[in-house]
Amino acid sequence: MSKTIKVALAGNPNTGKTTLLNAIAGTNLRVGNWPGVTVEKKEAVVNYNGYKIEFIDLPGIYSLGNQTAEEKVTIDFLIKEKPDIIVNIVDSTNLERNLYLTVQLLELEIPLIVVLNMWDEAVEKGIQIDVKKLSELLCCKVIPTSAVHKKGIKEILDSIIELAEKPKFIQCTHFESQVETFLLELADEIRKKQPILFDLFPKRFLVISLIEGIDLQNFGIEIHPDILKKAEEIRKKLEKLYKKDISSIIIEERYSIVISIYEQCVKKDTIKDVDTTLILDKIFLNKIFGIPIFLFLAWLMFEFTFELSAPYVDWLDSSLSNVIANWAYQGLTAINAPEWLISLITEGVIGGVGFVLVFVPVLFFLYIFMGILEGSGYMSRAAFLMDRFMSFIGLSGKSFIPLLIGFGCNVPGVYATRTIENPKEKILTALMIPFMSCSARLTVYAFFVTAFFTNHKALVILSLYMLGIIVAVTLAFILHRSYFKTESQHFILELPPYRIPTFRFIMLSAWSKTKAFLIDAGTFIFATALIVWFLLNVPFGVQSKEDSLFGHIAKVITPIFEPLGFGHWEASGALITGFVAKEVVLSTMGNIYAGEVVEEEQQKIGIIEGLKEIGVGFINANIEAGKKLISLFGLISNEEEEEPADNTLLNAVRKEFTPLSAFSFLVFLLLYTPCMATIFAIKQELNSWKWMAISVMISLTTAWIVSFTVYHIGKLIISG
Amino acid sequence: MTLSNVSVGKRVKIKDLKTDKNFRKKLMELGLFPGQIIEIIQDAPFGGPMKIRVKDYCIALRRDEASGIEVEEVE
Ligand SMILES: Nc1nc2c(ncn2[C@@H]2O[C@H](COP(=O)(O)OP(=O)(O)O)[C@@H](O)[C@H]2O)c(=O)[nH]1
Ligand SMILES: [Mg+2]
Repeated sequence: MSKTIKVALAGNPNTGKTTLLNAIAGTNLRVGNWPGVTVEKKEAVVNYNGYKIEFIDLPGIYSLGNQTAEEKVTIDFLIKEKPDIIVNIVDSTNLERNLYLTVQLLELEIPLIVVLNMWDEAVEKGIQIDVKKLSELLCCKVIPTSAVHKKGIKEILDSIIELAEKPKFIQCTHFESQVETFLLELADEIRKKQPILFDLFPKRFLVISLIEGIDLQNFGIEIHPDILKKAEEIRKKLEKLYKKDISSIIIEERYSIVISIYEQCVKKDTIKDVDTTLILDKIFLNKIFGIPIFLFLAWLMFEFTFELSAPYVDWLDSSLSNVIANWAYQGLTAINAPEWLISLITEGVIGGVGFVLVFVPVLFFLYIFMGILEGSGYMSRAAFLMDRFMSFIGLSGKSFIPLLIGFGCNVPGVYATRTIENPKEKILTALMIPFMSCSARLTVYAFFVTAFFTNHKALVILSLYMLGIIVAVTLAFILHRSYFKTESQHFILELPPYRIPTFRFIMLSAWSKTKAFLIDAGTFIFATALIVWFLLNVPFGVQSKEDSLFGHIAKVITPIFEPLGFGHWEASGALITGFVAKEVVLSTMGNIYAGEVVEEEQQKIGIIEGLKEIGVGFINANIEAGKKLISLFGLISNEEEEEPADNTLLNAVRKEFTPLSAFSFLVFLLLYTPCMATIFAIKQELNSWKWMAISVMISLTTAWIVSFTVYHIGKLIISG
Repeated sequence: MTLSNVSVGKRVKIKDLKTDKNFRKKLMELGLFPGQIIEIIQDAPFGGPMKIRVKDYCIALRRDEASGIEVEEVE
């Protein structure tokens, strides 16, 4: 059996941690969430020279505090899980600030390897770092690397093995001697009163934390009161001696170590080449052009995500329903399977798989574009530009893109919140997205305005979109001022240098995130689709939807909608299926009102024929996507044809609804809940069933209240 | 003079951080402690945040937060 080595990757944001892990682990990378928090977790296992090395990518942090969720996750992991080795990734072009965290990590007394990443950039910028000297001053291994060029990877792995075979830790960075004396004094007190603390915490970390007065409660250990008293005594003495608060003293002590090391190891050539980042920011952050450029890029991203993925969605859809379902049907009839089983497989199972798979192309394209925006460093510019407009509801500029994507489809909108590091902002944004009216809802609006509001089509649709935005903003504002009131999140946004992200890296991370969707949310979406199939088909062999379990449930909940003006079971039935996906609302209505759809003639499709259809379909999808990419830049105009509305359905609906109750119905449909896929996306992305439940509750109550208000105000206006 | 009313292109030295405790800690850990020289590079439209350079990197701060940072001009 091979020995396991647990390695934590720690470092500032934007130092190339993820790129490095990708370079080391390739496709073995797993993306998830840290338990209980909305912070992304990446892991990978690598077999090397007979060892099994487990890598954990810790969140990017500037210091080892306990203020933000990222910091808490990091310190918790390092103290409780005690990795064998910490690999500290630092940005060679920004060594001074990066070394602050290094000095803090050394206080944890865990064997450390310092990786000087972005070495290529440092060389280019004329920054010379004396690696040997740095290694001597920090008393640990220092390795220059260039993660994008995969340089230095082998050296890292070799050093890990070497250090694992002969674990070694030397503390050689020290504070001023009078501070060190106090540290020793407190250590003595601990040794006398509660020596077990030394088994639970790294010694230096413990002593410094106690003197600084940092709460160690959440590590679940009671500190002896004498120790706390002693620590306070020392704190008072130090504060008097330095005439500063204790945190400032300690931070300045650490920085004086950093500055002294920095000055001994780093030399900069005076001849500096042009700073491209400075020039690019003159354009991208321009006071006049900055925002228009951002809006253009956001629009481009929207188009890219939805237009380019559309051909692949269609291809998956037709492959499943035309070919795979057909094969299943033939196979099952050949073995004389009962009717219900055929329906279960061809409609329930294959349909459920379809519900999940249609999101794959969309998410994949979304992640690619997000990866480009993020990896290049532009995303933080977007936050910079939009901050002014978003901060009053407690959001930063980073929320803008996810909200915008939500108008196309809420599911990728929710997943686009991945770039928001701050948990509060992320939760608020994810709760707002369901109110962004997605294009699936638009199909329903379009049908109803044709039926009732032929003269005010655009106005009615626009009012719904606006209503969604108003509800979302109000909700965020209320939560920001109530639930999240205590959260004093200060805005500090790093604007990293512009970098060219690597193609391979972007594809890899897009794929691993899409895979995470399939495994997590995908499972639940599939299960829900199956449940709905059962509802529609139980008792087995029901002829009309009205007699199915689904019909009964629809009838039971119908009275709820009476005060909203649409208290008939057909409407509530359509709303139930709308929970699965808004695309099926119209077909359900068609089904209910216009009677059973005629069974389409099933033509037999052979194996070869089917494979050919799938293959040709895929090639066509690629061609179509290519055309769309070109047309995005206006070279080919791409006209979309509109499908004429079904006349029998129009008439049936006109009989059941008044224009007012139809509008009320649309308002409810807009707000009540996006669809199960969005709900499970929220659960996955926020890593919380609680927030998922809260989101659903908010949607349902808001929808009812707003529809009620709209309906009754409308009635007053009409009668008055 | 506070950082919020320094104009773009100026270099200033931090004198004092009159902010709440947590934020001061954050700023100091990022290298923005008294004595440090910083440069104002750009500001966002409509009174948005300002981009400043400290040590070898750039960060953005909101104006009301920058108003807690006391600075003095350097040549
Ligand atoms: N020039 C250069 N760029 C790099 C290097 N390592 C990472 N990058 C780029 O830096 C950016 C941020 O990298 P990322 O891995 O996302 O950083 P993280 O925030 O620490 O995970 C990406 O655009 C990478 O392509 C490197 O060694 N040299
Ligand atoms: Mg990362």
